[in-house]
Amino acid sequence: MKARAAAPVLALLLTGCAAREVVYHHLPPDTPAADNRAQIARAQRLQAAAAARSAAPPAASGAAQPGEPPPPPVEPADAPPLGTYDPWARLNRFTYRFNARFDEAIFLPVANHYRILLPAPVRGGVHNFFGNLAEVNSIINYTLQGRLGRGVRSLGRFAINSTLGIGGLLDVAGKLHLPDAPTGFGTTLAKWGMHPGAYLVIPLLGPSTLREGIGLAADYGTSYGINLADLYRGYQSWGLGVTNAVDQRAHVDFRYYASGSPFEYETIRFLYVRKLLIEDAGLHRHQPIPKSNPQVPAGK
Amino acid sequence: MKRRSIALTLTLALALACSCISIALADPAPLKPPPAPGPATGLADSAALRATVFGTPPQDIAPLPERVPMLEMDLEFPWARPVPQIFWFDRRLRVWFSAQPKPAPLAIVISGTGGDGNTAKLSILRAVLYRAGYHVLTMPSPTFPGFIVSTSSTGVAGDLEQDGRDLYAAMVQIIAHLPRKVRITDIDVLGYSLGGANAAIVKSLDGAEHRLGIHRALMINPPVSLFASVGRLDKLYAQALGGGDAGIERFYQQLYAELANLYRASDRVELDEDFLLGAAAAVLKTDAQFSAAIALTFRIALSNVFLAGDLYSGAGVVTDPAHPPRVGDSMEQISRELRSKTFAVYFTRIFAPYYLAHRPGSTVDSLIARNRLDVIGEQLRMDPNYYCQTNSDDLILDRAELDWLEKTLGSRIAVYDHGGHLGNLGDRQQVADMLDMLGGRWPRSTP
Repeated sequence: MKARAAAPVLALLLTGCAAREVVYHHLPPDTPAADNRAQIARAQRLQAAAAARSAAPPAASGAAQPGEPPPPPVEPADAPPLGTYDPWARLNRFTYRFNARFDEAIFLPVANHYRILLPAPVRGGVHNFFGNLAEVNSIINYTLQGRLGRGVRSLGRFAINSTLGIGGLLDVAGKLHLPDAPTGFGTTLAKWGMHPGAYLVIPLLGPSTLREGIGLAADYGTSYGINLADLYRGYQSWGLGVTNAVDQRAHVDFRYYASGSPFEYETIRFLYVRKLLIEDAGLHRHQPIPKSNPQVPAGK
Repeated sequence: MKRRSIALTLTLALALACSCISIALADPAPLKPPPAPGPATGLADSAALRATVFGTPPQDIAPLPERVPMLEMDLEFPWARPVPQIFWFDRRLRVWFSAQPKPAPLAIVISGTGGDGNTAKLSILRAVLYRAGYHVLTMPSPTFPGFIVSTSSTGVAGDLEQDGRDLYAAMVQIIAHLPRKVRITDIDVLGYSLGGANAAIVKSLDGAEHRLGIHRALMINPPVSLFASVGRLDKLYAQALGGGDAGIERFYQQLYAELANLYRASDRVELDEDFLLGAAAAVLKTDAQFSAAIALTFRIALSNVFLAGDLYSGAGVVTDPAHPPRVGDSMEQISRELRSKTFAVYFTRIFAPYYLAHRPGSTVDSLIARNRLDVIGEQLRMDPNYYCQTNSDDLILDRAELDWLEKTLGSRIAVYDHGGHLGNLGDRQQVADMLDMLGGRWPRSTP
């Protein structure tokens, strides 16, 4: 009954304001000066890092850890083919379109109003809170990946931010030079040697692959199973889920079809899968990457 | 912060954003394409190519305001043509407006080739103009697919006069629908790259029709001959990447390997913006790579113009007019075909046949001639309210074109020594001169 009543409302929202000549969207204000300051700081940070790399002894330069041998080089011929493995392309394209419409009609306006109405410190607190909850999955997955140092770092972050950071609202650990580095079960599967697999556009969430989709489901299952502070079950879990989604959306500077191009689906798919493959190559930095086969599309 | 990151990321992304190898099909060329005189890089040297790719360094950007209010307006126009299904998301024109709290002059800023109304370059111009006290309206280029679909009266973009008319009609509608509390004391129009030429044409149209009362027009790094500039970019593409897809694949493989090596050598757990920004300078190093990135960026923009033109004109070059592509259909084959299509092919197969059929008495030569700034040469020469900023090493100009601009505009042009094509947009000197020009304070504007 509820679903039947909700359907026309959703349809109306998704079709937007088709009859109106002009639609106005009040957006969060631009902050050019602060953005420029951040750019300058980032450029200086990058310059300092580059200078430190060039000052390091040749054997250690380029190595992730001092003393480690540099990783075997990736040659241009090792690059995956230009084609991408997408056996569910038609379904994916329709899901992409649905996501674009949902985002335009509901998700993005809500995220924009969230940014307009809530002061930055409050939004920062909410973002830190969810980041802190995600540390639990990071601890488990770094352990499963055999990266114990990083697992301990995530544990440290969780302990510090949950206590000194008032339940995760403040990122105290970040200020203590323990920056966040989240990971999930998708990365664990990659570390175990699983390929990204078929390209998959997940309803509401967006671009993914079969492996990353399984990873997301497993991460949610883990959180549900642990049910930290009873946040993941009952009515509060709905509130938590929606707030988390809005917080995530408010932090993603992407708009569907801002390119105006009917080739956007292909472009996003291409870039997303290459990003995953380069990250996979980083996970196995001490091994040569598998030779590319022009007959096998990227991701398969 | 994000926009600049994205601009740099996009340079890499666009360079990577090509899929699948195709065989370049030979196109019958029944009409003569426009000539592309001079070198492919115009007046640009190595530093100019680098500046074109990386833009103004953040520390050189002019002072910016802390906060700029943003209103997005999505408009539907009565003259719009039916929307092809695969362009369903471009039904409305998107423009962005930043209002001053008090009566103020309005600056209308037009994007460059293929750009929407909220590019990184427009964000910089919006910020500095807002700080100087202007209401600011930023608009897409008439070659942006969202404009072609929602606003163009022909669907075949690239004609200076027709695009100018469509822009002008859209501006009239937009200004009529601005929030009621906005009080406008004066209107100036400016644009960068192709948008600069569009701005000048719009002012000249307003001079005849008086529907807006545009006061000053400023062109930033404009082309002089649209087709010669675009021809240079075609030539640059052929030199940097070759005619087929082998060059694109080689470029992609090179960038992929460089990025993968940098990433593997780092201690990162995610390939994020920070990493890409740091990697950009290490990955794009040589003139050949800069040229390839610039040429590929332009070719990708051209693909959208080409596809829209093909659908609207019914030319059937890459689509079947009887069975146009629909939502859910794969676009890969069309994308592959379009990568090998130069502007010369767009001109001979779509643009020229369309305008020859719709403009009785016109010829190929007259179409080419009408797409030069000298169609408004007299106004540019005589009217003191036209201004220009450009660089002596801009890749879209040659020596004769730069001389023409200098001779025509006299003291109303500022020519900077370095910057390539838009590589100094937003820097302190460019912004200070721009504000003086728009404010009527340009020292050499008085005889």
